[in-house]
Amino acid sequence: MNDMAMIEERPLAAKAPQHAALTEREVQESRRKETILYLDGVSVSFDGFRAINNLSFLLGKGEMRAIIGPNGAGKTTMMDIVTGKTRPDEGEVFFNGTVDLTKHDEPAIATMGIGRKFQKPTVFEGHTVEDNLALALAGSRSILAAIFHRRDAEEEARIAEILDTIRLTHLRDASAANLSHGQKQWLEIGMLLAQDPKVLLVDEPVAGMTDAETEETARLLRDIARDHSVVVVEHDMGFVRDLGVKVTCLHEGSVLSEGSIDNVSSDPKVVEVYLGR
Amino acid sequence: MIVGHLLRRGLNRWIVLSLAVILAIGIAVPALNLLLPVTHPLHVPTYIVALFGKYLCYALLALSLDLVWGYVGILSLGHGAFFALGGYAMGMYLMRQIGPRGVYGDPVLPDFMVFLNWQELPWFWYGFDRFWFAALMVMVVPGLLAFIFGWFAFRSRVTGVYLSIITQAMTYALMLAFFRNNMGFGGNNGLTDFKDILGYSVQAGETRAALFFASAAALALGVLFVSALGASRYGKLMIAVRDAEARTRFIGYRPEYVKLFAFVAAAVMAGIAGALYVPQVGIINPGEFAPANSIEIVVWTAVGGRGTIIGPIIGAILVNAGKSWLTGFAPEFWLFALGGLFVAVTLFLPKGIVGTAIDGWDGLRRMRDGKRRERGEDAPLTGPQPEAAE
Amino acid sequence: MVFIRTIIAIFLLVFTALLALPAGAQEDDSALRQAISGLGAEKGYSKLRQAIDVVVETGDPRGARVLDALAEGDVYRREGDGAVFIVSGRGKERNLIDPVTSEQVGTIAKSELKKVRVNNSVRRTVRDAIGALTLGAKDPDIRLSAVRTMIDNPDPDSLDVIATALEREGDDDVRTALEQARAAAILLSDAAVPDKVAAIETIREMGGQEALSLLVRARNAAGAEMRDATEAAIASVQKRLQYWSLGQNVWYGLSLGSVLLLAAIGLAITFGVMGVINMAHGEMVMLGAYTTFMVQEIMRTSFPGMLDWSLPIALPLAFLVAGSVGFAMERGVIRLLYGRPLETLLATWGISLILQQTVRTIFGPTNREVSNPSYMSGAFQLGELSITWNRLWIVVFALVVFAVLLYAMNRTSLGLKMRAVTQNRRMAAAMGIRTPWVDALTFALGSGIAGIAGVALSQIDNVSPNLGQGYIIDSFMVVVFGGVGNLWGTLIGAFSLGIANKFLEPFAGAVLGKILVLVFIILFIQKRPRGLFALKGRAVEA
Ligand SMILES: Nc1ncnc2c1ncn2[C@@H]1O[C@H](COP(=O)(O)OP(=O)(O)O)[C@@H](O)[C@H]1O
Ligand SMILES: [Mg+2]
Repeated sequence: MNDMAMIEERPLAAKAPQHAALTEREVQESRRKETILYLDGVSVSFDGFRAINNLSFLLGKGEMRAIIGPNGAGKTTMMDIVTGKTRPDEGEVFFNGTVDLTKHDEPAIATMGIGRKFQKPTVFEGHTVEDNLALALAGSRSILAAIFHRRDAEEEARIAEILDTIRLTHLRDASAANLSHGQKQWLEIGMLLAQDPKVLLVDEPVAGMTDAETEETARLLRDIARDHSVVVVEHDMGFVRDLGVKVTCLHEGSVLSEGSIDNVSSDPKVVEVYLGR
Repeated sequence: MIVGHLLRRGLNRWIVLSLAVILAIGIAVPALNLLLPVTHPLHVPTYIVALFGKYLCYALLALSLDLVWGYVGILSLGHGAFFALGGYAMGMYLMRQIGPRGVYGDPVLPDFMVFLNWQELPWFWYGFDRFWFAALMVMVVPGLLAFIFGWFAFRSRVTGVYLSIITQAMTYALMLAFFRNNMGFGGNNGLTDFKDILGYSVQAGETRAALFFASAAALALGVLFVSALGASRYGKLMIAVRDAEARTRFIGYRPEYVKLFAFVAAAVMAGIAGALYVPQVGIINPGEFAPANSIEIVVWTAVGGRGTIIGPIIGAILVNAGKSWLTGFAPEFWLFALGGLFVAVTLFLPKGIVGTAIDGWDGLRRMRDGKRRERGEDAPLTGPQPEAAE
Repeated sequence: MVFIRTIIAIFLLVFTALLALPAGAQEDDSALRQAISGLGAEKGYSKLRQAIDVVVETGDPRGARVLDALAEGDVYRREGDGAVFIVSGRGKERNLIDPVTSEQVGTIAKSELKKVRVNNSVRRTVRDAIGALTLGAKDPDIRLSAVRTMIDNPDPDSLDVIATALEREGDDDVRTALEQARAAAILLSDAAVPDKVAAIETIREMGGQEALSLLVRARNAAGAEMRDATEAAIASVQKRLQYWSLGQNVWYGLSLGSVLLLAAIGLAITFGVMGVINMAHGEMVMLGAYTTFMVQEIMRTSFPGMLDWSLPIALPLAFLVAGSVGFAMERGVIRLLYGRPLETLLATWGISLILQQTVRTIFGPTNREVSNPSYMSGAFQLGELSITWNRLWIVVFALVVFAVLLYAMNRTSLGLKMRAVTQNRRMAAAMGIRTPWVDALTFALGSGIAGIAGVALSQIDNVSPNLGQGYIIDSFMVVVFGGVGNLWGTLIGAFSLGIANKFLEPFAGAVLGKILVLVFIILFIQKRPRGLFALKGRAVEA
């Protein structure tokens, strides 16, 4: 008898939330439209290990967000997913509210306007600082265009401007291989600027920098954030505080806490993750 | 770094110089052969013309390999296949020029087909009686093979040694195929016994001179092409792909197309080299597809210096001159020498002769300019170094 | 026609009977000698026939030889003493052959001989007599091979002999064979239709290539009423043969696969586990083969009695030779090139040229003869499968080597260290593993295994300086196809490529089949760049 009751109840129980989901979906969709980056229910496993676990993350247009979290929290993996390097097992990833990023590959995503600085600085070591920027400079990415390309005055000016911004003008002709770690970080940020993306994903930009350089970088990023959306991953709490933006703390592949730096850093869950083991 | 640097300014001078040298040789050698009497001390014997003509083709071949290996970092171990295909296309033209003068006197069918009792010309031999068509095929066939192969390989991101190994398998498969009689390319014996090219006897001194000059001119064009390509934005892109392929994707480039273009362009160059080679040596056979041949091209390029323009040319000529010389008096020693060369170059001269010389030159200039930058010392190789994305 | 066929059949019967007879293993031959001497009595054909019967009564299969000679007209009586001999040769001087031992016992002038004359009726008697003699032999093996000959050369005239033999026959195998022989003979005779249909059924059950050719012959000879039954039987036999040829292909594939496995398995360690591209791998195989050659030469000249032992002796030696060359290579060259795979590829190619040329200088450019030991020669039949011993041994050997290697990698301390070093060199070093030493040993192990492979391959391939070159591309294909870093992948890769190759061969021919397999792998790698059984994870991507 009991069984019967349960069986009869099930369709009812299943129907009700479906109804609710429909309207909720509409709500979500309109919310999505306002974001520049939209991740919902994203999961990724590597050989059974869940690096990202039902992660939801929204970035508003023009917003700068700092992401913190212990090593292995999945910060870099999240960027991999956004930039098309890793495909999520499930979940939605949208750019600009409408573009489904899971359907595009890295170059397509990059040309849409998502730029990325890697955790380990990767610049073209075979080229000079200037050529690194020139390659990254926004413009056609086709082979023919590259073969017949001639640099014009506008581009020259843009390169000079970026060189100035990242303070590498004096090293313009130096080989990128010979830059210091911090300079490489900046060159990579410079390449990001040259791409002129809508969203910048910046993975640990101040690792290996002196305090002065760190402060510089924070200023630079705040500058950039004026007309770009930015996601910054960083461990350095002082730096994050300097940025003065909303903070998301990731842990084991999902969001642990979100809010102002003071709120997040006093959140007992966060404290436990960072100190409590 | 060095390459980009030199291409932008320094080496332009060198390129002009080498173009001049190549063209001068292209004119002087045949002229000294034809115009001077045999007794004259400056007379160049005909066999030297033939030998050097061969070297020029090899130089073009090495330069084409350099385009993919030195610039884009694709170590093709099957580059000889493109050379051989170009050679076969030219050989087919030369075969059809024989006409009824073959041993069996068939007006259309080449001797080997008559011998195999074939009744009519296979479809893929049509059109090869016209030079323009053959010349087109010399470029189209290798280019098409490179395009198809590269399209699949680069898009699926096969890189590094995997790519090298499958390029080797490609030329190996082609070798096996061309050894088959019923492929319609003369099987074991290949194509030979040519008579005329464009109506001139291939044996005639004047024809040889013209072929020599054509080879030199093709090489000069190759040098111009590669240096222009290297100096363009695409040239920088090639090096970027070589050094950090994954990174180029994240700024929006498609490295697979960068590679594909270079691969196809190099295949076409190799095909042209093969087409010039065949009338000068008078034969093309499936042995040209042997994997060992392709690897030999790699060693020429490595010896001269990959990622440079004159390096592969110098390498091809030096190694082959050494080969001719050694096989002249101690043939069994040649493989020892070649093997030793492989080991020695990779261990002690990774940048090759020219690369090392440029380094030395750079160092000297830096000293002279008084700008002694310590950092220059641990600069990375010009060579391809498979680089992790992250 | 019939006559000639009969002669051939008789000849074959005698031949097999003689083959089956261990020479000199005969008991008393005086009875036979006595009976044979009766053939020399000069009393006309009917007496001769009786004399033949006397020979048959001895039941001695050796009598078949002289009867055969009799039918051929080669039996003579010596004028002097009336003794009977088989005589060979032409001209004035003839050779005398003892009718019992078949040995030549002397020569004699033609004039001193008198031929024992025969006519057709005697010939018929002779044929029956031979059948009776061999079919009546005491040894069932002799009887069986005699019957087999009759199946291969069916003759309606031998039906009587077969019938008699069937009555006496006690051995089941021989009985079955006799029935088949009878069926075969009936098919060619003018027997009644139901008999022939039964015979077809018997032949169909027999199956195999002979059955097929018998049936085809019968079809060509048969009248309309028999055609359908014959066609059906042919179809059925062909179907069974197809299954067998499927099996045969699988076997050839396994055999080729085992060769590929042997060639590739060392590479699975140096390339798969260490990531070193060793283009001189094939030359390690070649060194192993030449070691085998050397060992065999020494055995041949110094200990000829122990020639069969040369392979077991060559195995450890080949391992040592190739292993130490590999060790030297790693220490001398490869060590300096870690992290530069393309340079490693070129340098090892250079080494391969040097090794080849060294061997060519020492041993010459031509093929060297390495013989098969007795236990690896010959073949045996398994149903319709013909399996050569050397192939069988190589399959077994390849599997054993694989198992040993698997054990070594997974269960021994060296294997543990190898895996530790390849997975995380710095961590391994920090834990006190001497990584350079482990590198060298791993490489030596891979090379040594290649040397062992060379011992096996010397049995089926030409031992020449180019031996290795033929295997290098295939080996890489196997490892890459199976998935780098995975021994099981190599096993499965080798056997699937081997079998695929052999299945393509009948349709495409050997060369085209190989090309197709290569093209397939090239496409496959592009679909799955890491092979069938790929390792996953960040470490691999780097
Ligand atoms: N391609 C991959 N293969 C296997 N494991 C991966 C891969 N990418 C990330 N991981 C794992 O996912 C987890 C999250 O890594 P990551 O995103 O780099 O963390 P972090 O927050 O420090 O940047 C780690 O445990 C890492 O080992
Ligand atoms: Mg990270």
